[in-house]
Amino acid sequence: MEADDGRNERSGSVAGLSLPSRVAVAIGVAVVTVAAAVHLAMVFLHVAPPNVVSKEHSAAIGDYIYPEFEQNWKLFAPNPLQQNIAVQARAELRGADGRSTVTQWFDLSAQDGAAIHHNPFPSHTQQNELRRAWDFYVGSHDAKEQPMGMRGELSEQYVRRIVMLRLGAERDGRPVERVQVRSVTRSVAPPPWSDEKAATKPTYRVLGWWPVTTADLPEAKNR
Amino acid sequence: MSTLTTSLARGIDRVTGSPLGRYQAAVIRIGISFVWLCFLIREWPNRHEMYGTDGPWNWEMARRLTADNHAFTALVWSDSGLWFETVYALALVASVLLLLGWRTRTMSVLFMIGVLSLQNRSVFLGDGGDNVIHLLSLYLVLTRCGLVWSLDARRARRRARAAAAAQKAEEKTEETPGETAGGKGNPVGHDVCGIVLWALCGLALAVVQAAGHSRMMWTTNGPLPGLGWAAVFWGLWLVQGLWWCVRRYAPGEPRAVLNVFADLAHNAAMLVIMAEVCLIYATAGWYKIQGSRWQDGTALYYPLHLDYFAPWPELSRVLAGNSVMVLLLSYGTVAVQVAFPFTLLNRRVKNVLLGVMMIEHLGIAVALGLPFFSLAMIVADAVFLPTSFLKRLGSSVGRVRERVLAGRTEAVPQQREGEAAARTLVP
Repeated sequence: MEADDGRNERSGSVAGLSLPSRVAVAIGVAVVTVAAAVHLAMVFLHVAPPNVVSKEHSAAIGDYIYPEFEQNWKLFAPNPLQQNIAVQARAELRGADGRSTVTQWFDLSAQDGAAIHHNPFPSHTQQNELRRAWDFYVGSHDAKEQPMGMRGELSEQYVRRIVMLRLGAERDGRPVERVQVRSVTRSVAPPPWSDEKAATKPTYRVLGWWPVTTADLPEAKNR
Repeated sequence: MSTLTTSLARGIDRVTGSPLGRYQAAVIRIGISFVWLCFLIREWPNRHEMYGTDGPWNWEMARRLTADNHAFTALVWSDSGLWFETVYALALVASVLLLLGWRTRTMSVLFMIGVLSLQNRSVFLGDGGDNVIHLLSLYLVLTRCGLVWSLDARRARRRARAAAAAQKAEEKTEETPGETAGGKGNPVGHDVCGIVLWALCGLALAVVQAAGHSRMMWTTNGPLPGLGWAAVFWGLWLVQGLWWCVRRYAPGEPRAVLNVFADLAHNAAMLVIMAEVCLIYATAGWYKIQGSRWQDGTALYYPLHLDYFAPWPELSRVLAGNSVMVLLLSYGTVAVQVAFPFTLLNRRVKNVLLGVMMIEHLGIAVALGLPFFSLAMIVADAVFLPTSFLKRLGSSVGRVRERVLAGRTEAVPQQREGEAAARTLVP
């Protein structure tokens, strides 16, 4: 309500206070000191590599840090990402005669790249949406593409909805029945002055066909 | 032993005696609200896709995830489009008002609500920049970040001037009561606007709490273990009320004690912000040392070749094409990040390094296409800027403003002069 007025006419006035006030201040100093120390210790243990203390108290640290004080500062560390991971999708369309046709692969990451090209202020929808959705999918699925828990299910739905937003519910007037998603990983070629071998062929991770339901159709219009 | 006690006593005196780093706190406040404001404006056309009810990460998915991880977001309270637009608009307004420093303590809470609501609603959209904004918005709530460079500070100055004038007038002519001169300079008790704002906040809180589906608990699902969001918001609201009451009815010792508590919380929060910045650099640097690419000095070459971080391929090619440049920048980055926390021991080295890091972040903003991340990092760095520099910066900005205003409205030069003089008096 009332703003801070910045009047701080007293300085070192704690000594001038009555005994009860000084006790209150002393308690305040103790509480705030302990709180700040605990907070910093928790954040430190959270960002530090797993160690004897953080392993033993991992539950307490997790309780404290998540969800609001989560942080990850391994920026381009220990090594920067050295691969371009492109997420691509294709659709199966239902024809008027009941027969299905499959579209070509659409490179959705390349679309992001084109939107970022010569853009001083790339949007999170171009730089983070698909890229991080795919990270989320990869992180919540096992090698057999089985979802791990609720997060796995959510990540599938998220990727599917991003794909449907970009492909559209229909193509050439024909409804999309199923979609398939794959990732294409290409290593960045080593620098010309390096004697490392040039990158090998791209690697593919191809998911199964997903039937499209109305729950997979986002309605974000203002793209 | 006695020297230890003395220095401890001196330390306690210092952290309870005044809010330290008030200019740095103001820089963080202005900077972070500016970055978030720019971000909200930038994403205005994409807001439905990012945070709207029917975006790819739709309302139901957000509800399921936040029910599981207990992250705070007001956006899950209702799936109506109107509610979404309201929250986005409130986040914008809170950013502007926090930037200006209008009712700073209330606005810092609303700003935090805006940041958490949007970021936690679609957590898979964020990057390191969002993380910095997220943390700073939480810490800012505990700081007295509106003591300088704010509308609050200006109002306080005017009130103090009016009070002084009233006192003078009273001394001169005993027969006229202070009413005439003091009428304009609102004494504390007549702060209608503040009371209305406080009442509105309380009302909004009560409505949210009564609606029941807000997941606002007292002891669980809050920012810290054992502390629920209901306790946080009602607590802050009550403290605001208490602060006003004490100023109005008990300006003596109770007020002094509350002031000490406010300073304590402020100083602790500023310490945490500074430590947080050190942890960011320490983590970023120390993990890099372990990486083979940082060791062989080619690390920087790779991000410059990532399609998602190459808005200017021509520039990336030039930067990445020079082997010595890549080596120097890669090693330099690690050295600066690892060294930074230790340079705090030496003021001059610290300032030089601070400048280097800010320039590097400007480079990252352009070269990797991460303007909001880089700006947020520069703001966080700014907590270490020296007070003398900030004061000089403040007065030159003030001078420029005077000149601009004087050029536009020549009718009231006297008032402007008075204001400029008053500003220099502000501690």
